[in-house]
Amino acid sequence: MIHTSNLKEATRSLLASKQRTVLALIGIVIGIGSVIAMVSVGRIVQEESLRQFKEMGTDILTIEKEFGGGPPGMPGGGAKPAAATLKLDAIRAIPSRCPGISNVAPSVRGSGDISFNGKKLERSSPMGVTASFLEINKLAMGEGRFLSDLDEQSRYCVIGSQVAAELKKQGAARLLGSKIRLGDNLFTVIGVTNEVPQGGMRRFEPNEMIYIHITTGLRVFANAEIQSITARVSPGTTNNAARDQVLAYVASLGKGQAVRITSPEEIIAQMEKQMQMFTLLLGAIGSISLIVGGVGVMNVMLVSVTERRREIGIRRALGAKRGDIRGQFLIESVILSLIGGLLGIIFGIGASWLIAHFAKWQFALSFSAILLGVGVSNAVGIFFGYYPARQASMLDPIVALKSD
Amino acid sequence: MLTLTDIRKSYRIGPTEVDVLKGVSLEIKQGELVSIMGPSGCGKSTLMNIIGLLDRPTSGSFMLDGAEVTYTNDDALSEIRNKRIGFVFQQYFLLSRLTALENVALPLVYRGETGHNNRDRCMELLKRVGMDERAMHRPAELSGGQQQRVAIARALVGSPSLILADEPTGALDTLVGGEIMELFKTLNAEEGITVVIITHDPGIARQCKRVAVMKDGVIVE
Repeated sequence: MIHTSNLKEATRSLLASKQRTVLALIGIVIGIGSVIAMVSVGRIVQEESLRQFKEMGTDILTIEKEFGGGPPGMPGGGAKPAAATLKLDAIRAIPSRCPGISNVAPSVRGSGDISFNGKKLERSSPMGVTASFLEINKLAMGEGRFLSDLDEQSRYCVIGSQVAAELKKQGAARLLGSKIRLGDNLFTVIGVTNEVPQGGMRRFEPNEMIYIHITTGLRVFANAEIQSITARVSPGTTNNAARDQVLAYVASLGKGQAVRITSPEEIIAQMEKQMQMFTLLLGAIGSISLIVGGVGVMNVMLVSVTERRREIGIRRALGAKRGDIRGQFLIESVILSLIGGLLGIIFGIGASWLIAHFAKWQFALSFSAILLGVGVSNAVGIFFGYYPARQASMLDPIVALKSD
Repeated sequence: MLTLTDIRKSYRIGPTEVDVLKGVSLEIKQGELVSIMGPSGCGKSTLMNIIGLLDRPTSGSFMLDGAEVTYTNDDALSEIRNKRIGFVFQQYFLLSRLTALENVALPLVYRGETGHNNRDRCMELLKRVGMDERAMHRPAELSGGQQQRVAIARALVGSPSLILADEPTGALDTLVGGEIMELFKTLNAEEGITVVIITHDPGIARQCKRVAVMKDGVIVE
């Protein structure tokens, strides 16, 4: 039996031993706080990545050359022989042969030394692209113009904002017209792309790129081959339909041609799955600190029972049943844990806000985390309070009355 | 109202069995004012615990209001203590965190009764023991005699048929002790409540209508 007056009584007895109460609270606050912080940071990261992903649009397919069956470690890795590389002309024909695809942007990555005025440029990477690349990747020009189809085989380049900043640092008076050396070739800067926030879902870092025309890239890059094509799906076509069209087209090109096509839905689903694992893992770590906090509560309650043996005896003599005594102590431990839980929720949300603030993520309040916090602290109170409460209720009234 | 027949109680202390009560038979009628007197160690406290249903006899029969209570379960015993017995202890045993009024109300809490009627009832009883002006004081702010008066009000709040007092004046000086005894006598005379007082003090025992003298675990007269 639990009486409402027990609530008042429990609060009063917790207040009577403030120091001990506060010490026990610290454990619970840290436990609940870390669970809340971790769960809500997990949520924030998840929403942040999805938001960045959606910025690129979900009507995008990534078409890649079928390497020997897939990346190492994935099922089927290394099983199939590597497919032949798609020819640029065949790729350019995709929008006309597949009505579900409105545009394609093949690209080729290069490597080698990049220098300006004889000095090496750090954190920059060359890439051969087509005119469609800018629009498909939702990039915008800051200065000059992007490469056009008339720039085939030209020695023009377009640079990302980070590269532009680097050039200025190296003493470039005007960006447009500056010459950058890629391997043995000099390229003239004709444009600069706007800065793009970091951590997007593109498979390259736009701010650090040096774009040249894909035809030039295929000629000057060592071992150049088109590895990745980004395709925009036509409005009104589903990603799956577009994918089937591309697969059929590639198959029609003849034996040895194979591609792997991924759509954003798959990547989102995979990412969400990873996030769930992440959240679960973090929750588990938080639970361990909760157990530590719970043991603290149990300790405080056991001390409290020992100190209040006489009170228990008096209450029993006045007619309290075992259940009444058990209820009284359980309420105390639950109140203790709930107070700790509430403080922990505040602490955890504050911590996740700070983390989001410094990582420049959008802060989101996770109500499920708050519910979890309240629920878990309640459960901790009952679970770790039950044993001391039972001990209190099993005390022999006479023994209890005789103790000091 | 209570009949004890051949009550025995023994404790095991280490390897030896110690017989504390060696066959106590006692009958107390409704409305009596009885004292159980004897030197310390004679078993009177154990007897009081058995009468107060705080302890169970090893053997024998205990009828309370015509019903055998020896083998009643713990919850039922708690309920009988709550409704039919009022305890008064030598060290008062008030809860230090509660006010006098809240202490008096405590037995009612365990009946599931709370509310304004209770408050009135508790105030009335505090007035009866002359403590109504100290209702909001905590035990530490009261003298020994005052605390014992609050404890008596607490014993009375559940309208018990039996008041069981264990050395109620043991911690008080003679004058205050006398006042407490007067209170018991008045309650017994005016309201017909059965009062059983356990004491080692012949002066206290003499004020009761009947005295049962205990020695070595038996009642000798």
